[in-house]
Amino acid sequence: MDIEAIAAQIEADIQNVNSAQKLEEFRIKYLGRKGVLAELTGSMPGLPVGERATFGQKINALKNKISIFVNEKQGSLNKPGPVGAVSSGVDIGMPGMAQDLGTLHPLTLIIDEICGIFTRMGFSVVEGPEAETEYNNFTGLNIPLDHPSRDAFDTFYINKQRLLRSHTSPVQIRVMKERKPPLAVVVPGKVYRPDAVDASHSFMFHQVEGFMVDKDIRFSDLKGVLETFAKAVFGQDIKMRFRPHFFPFTEPSAEVDISCIICRGKGCSVCGRKGWLEVLGAGMIHPNVFKHVGYGVKKYTGFAFGMGVDRIAMLKYGINDIRLFYQNDLRFLRQF
Amino acid sequence: MKITYNWLKDFVDIKIPAKALADKLTMAGLEVTSLEERDGDYVFEIEITSNRPDWLSVVGVAREVAAITNSKMKLSRVKSPRPTTHDPRSISITIENKKDCPLYTAKIIRGVKVGPSPDWIKKRLELVGCRSVNNIVDITNYVLFERGEPLHAFDLDKISGGEIIVRRGKAGEKIVTIDKTERRLDKEILVIAGKDNPIAVAGVMGGEATEVTGSTKNILLEAAVFDPVLVRSGRQKLRLQSESSYRFERGVDPETAYNASGHAQNLIREICGGEPVYAQEKGPVKNYVKTLTLSLDDISRIIGVAIPVSKIKSILTKLGFLVRPKGKRALIISAPGHRQDIAQEVDLIEEIVRIYGYENIPVTLPKINPYVDNSDNARNRNLVSAIKNILVGLGLDEVITYSLIDRAMAKECAPGIEPVSVLNPLNSEQGVLRSTVIPGLLQSVSVNLNQKQLYVAIFEFSNIFLGPVEDLREELVLGIALCGIKSNFSADQGLIRQQAGVLHLKGILEILFLRLGITGYAFKDESGCLEFDVFTGNELIGKITKVKNSTLEMFEIKNKDVVVLEINLNKVFPYAKTQKKFTPLPLYPEIARDISVVVKDDIKVDELLKAAGERGGSLLESARISDYYKGKQIPQGFKGLTISCTYRSSQRTLTESEVNPVHTLVCAVLKDRFGAQLR
Repeated sequence: MDIEAIAAQIEADIQNVNSAQKLEEFRIKYLGRKGVLAELTGSMPGLPVGERATFGQKINALKNKISIFVNEKQGSLNKPGPVGAVSSGVDIGMPGMAQDLGTLHPLTLIIDEICGIFTRMGFSVVEGPEAETEYNNFTGLNIPLDHPSRDAFDTFYINKQRLLRSHTSPVQIRVMKERKPPLAVVVPGKVYRPDAVDASHSFMFHQVEGFMVDKDIRFSDLKGVLETFAKAVFGQDIKMRFRPHFFPFTEPSAEVDISCIICRGKGCSVCGRKGWLEVLGAGMIHPNVFKHVGYGVKKYTGFAFGMGVDRIAMLKYGINDIRLFYQNDLRFLRQF
Repeated sequence: MKITYNWLKDFVDIKIPAKALADKLTMAGLEVTSLEERDGDYVFEIEITSNRPDWLSVVGVAREVAAITNSKMKLSRVKSPRPTTHDPRSISITIENKKDCPLYTAKIIRGVKVGPSPDWIKKRLELVGCRSVNNIVDITNYVLFERGEPLHAFDLDKISGGEIIVRRGKAGEKIVTIDKTERRLDKEILVIAGKDNPIAVAGVMGGEATEVTGSTKNILLEAAVFDPVLVRSGRQKLRLQSESSYRFERGVDPETAYNASGHAQNLIREICGGEPVYAQEKGPVKNYVKTLTLSLDDISRIIGVAIPVSKIKSILTKLGFLVRPKGKRALIISAPGHRQDIAQEVDLIEEIVRIYGYENIPVTLPKINPYVDNSDNARNRNLVSAIKNILVGLGLDEVITYSLIDRAMAKECAPGIEPVSVLNPLNSEQGVLRSTVIPGLLQSVSVNLNQKQLYVAIFEFSNIFLGPVEDLREELVLGIALCGIKSNFSADQGLIRQQAGVLHLKGILEILFLRLGITGYAFKDESGCLEFDVFTGNELIGKITKVKNSTLEMFEIKNKDVVVLEINLNKVFPYAKTQKKFTPLPLYPEIARDISVVVKDDIKVDELLKAAGERGGSLLESARISDYYKGKQIPQGFKGLTISCTYRSSQRTLTESEVNPVHTLVCAVLKDRFGAQLR
């Protein structure tokens, strides 16, 4: 058949397409495997070589025209269908199909967040053993034997010289004995204290310790670093305050509060109506600690800080019972 | 410690309301944890840090209030007249070791009338949480809370032999303390003794036999200083904490003791009558005063702010320090006797900034030196993080379980390993350091099955502890537990249910090994059908286990299969190759051939594939299982497999005639070596 006649026929047939069924018939008639255009293409080898190129172009033009028409018509025929009609063959109301993802433990998320903030500030992450020596956990940190300051650190013992670390601070001793300043280190990890388990106590919990030692590290730097940290974790609009406190391994020492993230400082049950939440302990590393690790006390200064990860996670996520972290109920874990 | 607003006002002018005072105290390091209005007074509950025993009294806090509110102390020196009459039946005092008891003072008051205390004493004691006993005992307690010096009054007539001996307890000795409890003494415990027997545990609690009762007429009033370490170890041994021991183990200074004793004597005369007839002191009369040099440059070097000298002087003077100049950039400071915590320059610096106000210290950022941690530890941390993310991607949930576990559970899950015990566990369920993470995982599985979870897939990273105690090792392990039926919705096939099993764990490990670039690994079935050893290189790194029913019962898991895996990551890490290397994409097309075979059940598929791979030579790019079936068409004891072979050359496009002979060889090896029937 003459290609011009076919073109005319297509125009005519297009006018009669008024249903999905007719559209499909039209498509098969022209674009089908044994359709009109396929037949035309098949007839090409019979043409003189010179005409083949133009002929091919004409076929392609027709193909395009039909394809565009079919696509557009399909769209317009589907559009005004009745409510809920299944026209595409897909019920988008069905559940999606995907591989299930698991979850990281909320404490892992918080530790990663905290360590991430400090590593972006230039700190490096170091871990230490959980079973520690009595020296690293106490004596090296200026907590003498038989001193009331030990009362704050009830400890599980393994034998006379070994114990389960009651804080992450022993890693300070390890790092300082191994390396020389400048140091900027954070230490995440598990710690242990023989506290009976209840909604706010656990005999195993997590801390992140941090410290920095160099020439000319000052208390004002500690304030700057912790403020940067607290704003990154709890939000730019929180307020922060440093209160004098006592820790054997820092002097001066501070407890650090942030304005309550629940009531914004007005006073609520979470902050005990105080408007403040204690989140960190910190201070300038005690000269006695430097003496233990062999650093010159006139040469170097440094700060150290520590925080309870479980407590921060509880505040951030609004969790009211520390035991949930260690029961591992999937209904809990999957919320994070 | 509890303290009241009006009581403080006895010693210092306070011009601010109680609430404002509480805030000021908190910001000066005396954290007020509660403030309560009661009976026309305010009760402050203050957390006193262990370095400041001088704050454990009304007078001590008043001194602080004077410093932080800029007002004057109203404390005058206590004037207590020394008795003029000499008691013929005076008492002798012997201190066996001056180190145990640097100061012992005794006052004998005769003819006291023991009875109820006046209301003002009762009320104040009650506000600070102390029960009223009788006027004599109440006065000693009142002075303790007010001055910080624990006092004790003995019934003089019940002290045997007219002697006071401060000595160590003797083995076999016993004393009934005023709480009516019999306590065993030994040479680690300091006692106050009469001629024959102990009458008090020094600095901790008096004895019942010599306590002041309604019939007491004559008393011996003790004010002393005892060795803090000895008081502490004594009360720990006796498991007996008291207001006295709390102060003595933190440190009491002699001057406070003298003052308190005099003040108590005056109160007793005023309230209970009687006449002081004798006084004796054994020990130092003067306080030891510490003198230190304070460098002004050190303040700014450590704190980051230059505080004017005038300000420094005024702060230290208000706190009772003596300040003298030393050149232009230093001061010489003498600490008052009650400041036994002041040992070095930095202690003075803390005092200065504490009163200067932490809020007035500027906020600066330190210069941080770039440091790239290239240690193995840093690399391993990154690997742990990568593995965690892969496991989460595979649908597993991370758990954290306790490191202290039950001994029987540890031994059940890690047979042959003797777990290391904790000397002072809270209970036997947390009696040992875990030698395996599997008990924790099984407990978590159990918790979730109880919550009607149908499928539990969990992992934990944790240290395990391997003995012996003297050479304790910690190893980082990865544990995984799978249990139940995993359901995946598929629009084509409906719900697809899969029972979690050993091969799922193998699959998880294979993905991990692939991502970590670990190639030389193997899974071996060495010990029957429940345990499979995992190797990297020739090293056993862990096990995949189908947990025995008897073990599951221990964790109250019933009618469920649980598979677990535990691998030692310290052994895996050295094999990890995180450096990636690009292999050029193939230039020539492949020819694919499938072989469907039926083989006996006991034929191991990996061996089959390995043989095919060897026989296929360089042209066989890969041979993998693309189908596995059992059932109607397959005879009992056999399994059907489809092996998809991909042939390719990196040199040229392969032709059928090149591939066919090789493929025939591959089929032949399956037939000949494994008895495979080709279908």
